[in-house]
Amino acid sequence: MEIKVLASGSSGNAYFVSDGKTPLLLEAGISFRLIRQGLNFEVSRLAGCLISHEHQDHARAAHEVMRAGIDCYMSRGTAEVLKLQGHRLHIIEALAQFRIGTWAIKPFQVHHGAAEPLGFLMANQFHEKLLFATDTAYIPHRFEGLTHLMVEANYSLPLLRDNTPSSELRQSILQDHMSLETLVGMLRANDLSKVEEIHLLHLSGSNSDADMFKRKVQEITGKPVYVGGKHG
Amino acid sequence: MEKTPEKKGTAVTKPFDVVALVTTKLRTYTDDKELILPENYSIENALKSAWLVLQETVDRDKRPVLQVCSQASIANALLDMAVQGLNPGKDQCYFIAYGQKLVCQRSYFGTMAVAERVAGASDIWAEVVYEGDKFEYAISHNRKTVTKHEQELENIKPGAIVAAYCVIEFSTSKPSFTEIMTIEQIKKAWAKSKTDTDSPTSVHSQFPEEMAKRTVTNRACKAIINSSSDSNLFLEHFNRSDEEQTGIELEAGIKENANQGIIDVGLDDEEIVEGQLVGTEDPKSPKPSRNPAGLKTVEAMLKACFDDFGLQPKQVLAELGVSGQTEIKESPADCYTRVAAVMAGPKKGPGEEPGF
Repeated sequence: MEIKVLASGSSGNAYFVSDGKTPLLLEAGISFRLIRQGLNFEVSRLAGCLISHEHQDHARAAHEVMRAGIDCYMSRGTAEVLKLQGHRLHIIEALAQFRIGTWAIKPFQVHHGAAEPLGFLMANQFHEKLLFATDTAYIPHRFEGLTHLMVEANYSLPLLRDNTPSSELRQSILQDHMSLETLVGMLRANDLSKVEEIHLLHLSGSNSDADMFKRKVQEITGKPVYVGGKHG
Repeated sequence: MEKTPEKKGTAVTKPFDVVALVTTKLRTYTDDKELILPENYSIENALKSAWLVLQETVDRDKRPVLQVCSQASIANALLDMAVQGLNPGKDQCYFIAYGQKLVCQRSYFGTMAVAERVAGASDIWAEVVYEGDKFEYAISHNRKTVTKHEQELENIKPGAIVAAYCVIEFSTSKPSFTEIMTIEQIKKAWAKSKTDTDSPTSVHSQFPEEMAKRTVTNRACKAIINSSSDSNLFLEHFNRSDEEQTGIELEAGIKENANQGIIDVGLDDEEIVEGQLVGTEDPKSPKPSRNPAGLKTVEAMLKACFDDFGLQPKQVLAELGVSGQTEIKESPADCYTRVAAVMAGPKKGPGEEPGF
């Protein structure tokens, strides 16, 4: 599986994922120009684009991606807020599996202050299974046989307390994003024996520490960990 | 969210130990001039009144909070109450138990009382703006002022709220403070609430005007309180109760709802046509005969039972004689076979293959 992080974080998210046969874009939260650049101007090869929720850092370019002839998949709630329609729009529902090319995808509900936010569990014919979950306080389900993880590690509680002075903002982060501590709980609750790589997404600029997060997750899982696309 | 360390299972047996502890702590604050309590606020009376309320307060399983909650959390909740000068007898705050933790939750009336006392507010009022209203406001020096709001009676419809605003006036020459929230912002604030605000029976659905006014009033009061008080001690307690509640609710939410039942995705039942885009399944297409061995998870089994027999998960669990998914001992395939046998009708003997 090829995973390429075009952008990750509150200023924008876009990820390229391919099993070699069906290339997909997960999120369109950066300008269309940057998406094209990130994909070496081969946007038209994409088989589809999944959008988790309507916030601009995830959906900024959704309209243009559709206009470029790429099918976009999102919940009804997301599409309504984004005011998207047309034959390129596919409405998907939590726990209703669908297919794009060689991928089988099951969306699931996540916990974020948006209309109808989703995470994605995705399998391909090469026995690879990817979990994609960002912008959620926690992940409601457990999974079997995951090989690749792309999960949010937004903040760590002590750093949030020290670095975010506004109580209101702190509360909103608590409710809408996944902490390193919650991620650790999630990693411990799941069977990771088949996991090949873990990508940590959406690290907060002020409330996270990329090196520490990477070290911590590596310690717990013993797996290769990548932070926001950097292999460092 | 700094807290006194919790001692598990230390139910409060001697009430006045806790009251004495909180009184001593408050006295040190007032003696050091870290905290100035309202002139007419008697610590002893407020704590006594709180104790009466606490004796009647129960958790969500109807157990008395004084028996369930830790002594440290009761002391912290009382401290939060007293530092903010709140009186539970006047509905300015109430106490909620989250597991063993007791939290003092300030009410809407409590927030207004604090705004009056700490920020010197002399009048706090809120209005709702409806579709068709003539509403104008100006922004200057980071301060909003409503310059015009004209309303026709026929505009007043609960479904036609476009915004709400709150104006706080001060007894001093300080200019008034205005907070304006659009209905989208208000609904976003409601979405954070633990109650289902979308439900038709919720107070938010039944009295949207009143709730919208409360939401914008709360936000306005919090803003002026945070900018008026120069006491860090006070602000810490003022903001802590909200944040603590968020933290505790989240913790409880994670405990109850995170990393629960297994869900899976697979290509098992479908043949892949290379290079071709396969859309979502057509619900009208005939069902393939099912091989129970293909059901690897409880979730898949429940979905299969729904698809094949129209049974809701609860009904399936009832057929299996269990009350929750975790109690299932058999494999998902065996569960499906058993439910299928029941659904095939009583004519079939137990040894016969269920008909699919």
